[in-house]
Amino acid sequence: MRAHSRSRRNDPRLIATDHRGLPARRALRQKPSASLKLTCVLACTFVAVLAPACAFVAVLAPTATATPSVKLAASFSPERLGKGTTIEIGFHVAYPSGQAPLAATAIQFFLPPGLGIATSELGLQNCLPTRLELLGRAACPPNSLMGHGSATTAVPFGSRFVTEHTSVTLFSGPVQNGNPQLLFVTVGEYPVIAEVIFSALVLPAGPRFGGLIETKLPLVPSVPYGPDVALLGLQTTIGPAGIVYREDIGGKTVDFRPRGILLPKSCPRGGFPFAVRLSFGDGSSASSSATVPCPRRRVG
Amino acid sequence: MICKQTRSLRLAAALSATLALTGTFASTTIASRGTIASRAVSVDDTGHLHLLKAFGSVLMEEGSAAGTLPGQAKVRLTVGSTVTASFTIQTKYGTIYGSGSAALHSSGRYSSFGGSLSVSHGTGSYAHAHGSGKLYGVIDRRTSSLTVQTIGTLSY
Repeated sequence: MRAHSRSRRNDPRLIATDHRGLPARRALRQKPSASLKLTCVLACTFVAVLAPACAFVAVLAPTATATPSVKLAASFSPERLGKGTTIEIGFHVAYPSGQAPLAATAIQFFLPPGLGIATSELGLQNCLPTRLELLGRAACPPNSLMGHGSATTAVPFGSRFVTEHTSVTLFSGPVQNGNPQLLFVTVGEYPVIAEVIFSALVLPAGPRFGGLIETKLPLVPSVPYGPDVALLGLQTTIGPAGIVYREDIGGKTVDFRPRGILLPKSCPRGGFPFAVRLSFGDGSSASSSATVPCPRRRVG
Repeated sequence: MICKQTRSLRLAAALSATLALTGTFASTTIASRGTIASRAVSVDDTGHLHLLKAFGSVLMEEGSAAGTLPGQAKVRLTVGSTVTASFTIQTKYGTIYGSGSAALHSSGRYSSFGGSLSVSHGTGSYAHAHGSGKLYGVIDRRTSSLTVQTIGTLSY
């Protein structure tokens, strides 16, 4: 499933369809609308009373439509050829002065050739999207955890946008049409309490890259008739850093750290290429690339 | 007339011997002079392989194959959004080389895949080997052990 949803501006719920347009595997899980509305009221009060303390990012009024720019950063930890690692990847979106942030509708992460995501021990179990949507992150088995990070969004309030920092958790999902699936869960607490779930597929990429993580983002509505919530940045790990799995050995539950994403034995010429491409609600897109230099060979 | 019957019986005997030799269904093409030009064998082999080494998206596996062509199998598996494999099966009568590609059917600890394979060449009795078929497998992603099944037709 690649999450794809329609915004209903007068209805805080989001209705999602999969990439075939089939109905209602919900890509968004939110607290009940009453709770959301209460939170919004509180947040608006907060905005009115404590505005100076709030991090406004832009004026909401219609603005010029210059294309936003995106900057990608990527790294491996540790950097050792032929060994397991954790990928750290993230991007930040910058807007021309005076332009309101745009809702992103799709993200494509291009990964270097030869990375062993499938040969890692990450995702020894799958999280089922239906259970995740119903019960939240607690429904996902510990051995389905594949990474974590954070995201920054711009939430429109009144005439301005307020930044909201959310946590991001990455789980392994069931294969979709022969393609490995990742499930992203973002949880925001303030000013809007919302849990957004979207899935991504790992697809073949062009000759320069070894794979592509592609997701269609659900539009997250804000206040009635206001613009959708905009994504300003996303950072996540894909790998075993900070992750502990469990297995039963002889009737005992034993913790272990999964083998990381295996790096190839040799480095691609010029380093490991990464790229990101963001598509926005107005039809525009922005791209950025980054290269992780070849690790120095260890002696001895 | 009698001569023709005898010749047919000889042909039948040769075919029976081939069937007995391969232990499976086989069709034999008889050239006009009565020499055997090629054989086509239905192959159904299962291999249980263990990890030799892993790097990047590549798993090198080795183990025994049982079935129509029993022997020692070596597989180089590249596991990405699709699975590609190159393999050798070393049998008593020669070695068979081939490759295949497959799509993932499931993920989790036991990742299954399925697709197609082709045999490109060989050595010994299989010097002119070629063929095609289907490839199925399951990888235990904790131990990297691989169970693979090949079904198809081999000509040699």
